[in-house]
Amino acid sequence: MKDNVDISVDFAGIRLANPVFTASGTCGYADELAEFADVNALGGFITKSITVRPRKGNPTPRIVETDSGMLNAIGLANIGVHKFVEEKLPVLEKLSPAVFVNVAGETINDYVTVVERLASERAIAGFELNISCPNVAKGGISFGTEPEQVAKITSAVKKAAGEKVLMVKLSPAVTDISIIARAAVEAGADALSLINTFTAMVIDIESRKPVLANKTGGLSGPAIKPIAVYLVNKVYNEVAKSSGAPILGIGGIMTASDAIEFIIAGASAVGIGTANFIEPGCTIKIIEGIKNYCARNKIASIKELTGTLQE
Amino acid sequence: MTKNCIAAKKGVFLAAVKANKQIGRRFYRLRLEFSGPAAEAFANSKPGQFAQLNLSGTALPAAKDIPDELANNARRNILLRRPFSFADVTCEDDKTLVDILYCVVGPASLRMTTLSAGDSVSVIGPLGTGFCVPEGKKRALLVAGGMGAGPLQHLAKLLTADYPNIDVMAFAGAKTAKELPFGARLDEISQQLGFSLREFADYGVESLVATDDGSAGWKGLVSDCLAEWLGQAAFAGNDMIIYSCGPEAMLAKVADIALKNNIDCQVSMERMMACGIGLCQSCAVECKADRPGKTVYKLCCKDGPVFDSREVIFSA
Repeated sequence: MKDNVDISVDFAGIRLANPVFTASGTCGYADELAEFADVNALGGFITKSITVRPRKGNPTPRIVETDSGMLNAIGLANIGVHKFVEEKLPVLEKLSPAVFVNVAGETINDYVTVVERLASERAIAGFELNISCPNVAKGGISFGTEPEQVAKITSAVKKAAGEKVLMVKLSPAVTDISIIARAAVEAGADALSLINTFTAMVIDIESRKPVLANKTGGLSGPAIKPIAVYLVNKVYNEVAKSSGAPILGIGGIMTASDAIEFIIAGASAVGIGTANFIEPGCTIKIIEGIKNYCARNKIASIKELTGTLQE
Repeated sequence: MTKNCIAAKKGVFLAAVKANKQIGRRFYRLRLEFSGPAAEAFANSKPGQFAQLNLSGTALPAAKDIPDELANNARRNILLRRPFSFADVTCEDDKTLVDILYCVVGPASLRMTTLSAGDSVSVIGPLGTGFCVPEGKKRALLVAGGMGAGPLQHLAKLLTADYPNIDVMAFAGAKTAKELPFGARLDEISQQLGFSLREFADYGVESLVATDDGSAGWKGLVSDCLAEWLGQAAFAGNDMIIYSCGPEAMLAKVADIALKNNIDCQVSMERMMACGIGLCQSCAVECKADRPGKTVYKLCCKDGPVFDSREVIFSA
């Protein structure tokens, strides 16, 4: 029975062997993860954020553990698009999962420059627009909280992206996430990924200083999962269902049952982030667990499960 | 044991707990046993390498056994693995035994104290670079601060076993006698120089103890103890190498002493890390770049934890 289950998905026109992605910034450029997990078993792979020029990232401490979660403030440390093309693309080109490049910048022009440089690369299936990073002084989240800004950056990048799929990653730190989601889709986004981390703080009560050098960081992990499930369901009902733009559900997924919650809520695929830090092989177990769930519930294709939340 | 800097094949393994012995109020020595491919991987591990232990499912001690200073957040969930270096690695038949010296400092290490023989624990390792032994050295000085003694015990074993031409000498420091992570009874630790800690003496390595308050051994910082010893010794800097592990402020002082005395120095750095395998980029160590005045962040987990002291920009 299990072998008859079809867990392939159609994600904005791309056929994926299964609905499991690694989330941006949690698996580098795939080379580090490959030592611990069969990267080719993934449905999709999202690189860490790429910017026009290399970025050193923030001073340390860059992370702190919280109850059932963690804060990170890496600061978009990356090698820059030039080195990415030279050193990392040849490796990514050999992988079977659909490769999305996460793109970040300080100005709209920065985003466009990175996407233009990569739009004709065969190794890349699409882009994930990072307009929701809470850890940089300029750009990042400031693009993702105003619907007019979201529309402007999405349409500019869409033109540069050519035939590639454009996915926009949404911040949960907004009054109504559906307004942002709608602005992105109407401006040409082919898919939505949500949620990015919540801006958060941990204080050392002895020194009365924030633990992170950046003062604040993005909260991820199981602590944010129920909020992420809710927001995926909201965006599915209010934007994605009618527009047809698929959702990549992200936020504290540790197990197959977590992933299935997101799919029932409305996600077509799921992104695994923090869990990779604890179990670098967890994505493989999650894929297997999704298959088992479908077999047990007589679901012939995982596609049938998306947005099936019962009243 | 490999002599070069090639890392052993790493992986996610299940280890069997063989012992977990308390060796002072806050210190423990955990013995893990690895079988199969894990035994081979850890048999080839180098001093200074580390492993990530998953303690999220490990039980808390009974309330009465939780120290007052930790009671406040002892019940916090553990999500991330915790990194530990090795105090000893031994091969027995087809098994490999790995000793981890640890100090109870928070909710994860508190849970670790309840591990006992028969338990198993998930381990990712061996990870990172280890200490390297350059050609032509005649004298190695191991300088430990507090818990930094662990990997230097492992190194003492390797040096004495594989490098008979290198004289090894250990310096171990802590704030007070109670904070020395050694098995010796505190009243046995001499007020005099030249006292040998059993953990080093077992390998024929002489050791000096320094405490900030003078409650054991030399009174003062272990780095000052090292400086004074170097001042009295008449060895050429080129012939020596310093290996150091401990708090960053101490490492910075040791690195400075090494530089002034023209001695090669390798330091084992510590950073908060989520994954330990290069995914999360949390554990950045600021290092000098090729261009003057420029710096780069290297990763403690992959590029380190052992660095040449001349490349590190110490933050403490």
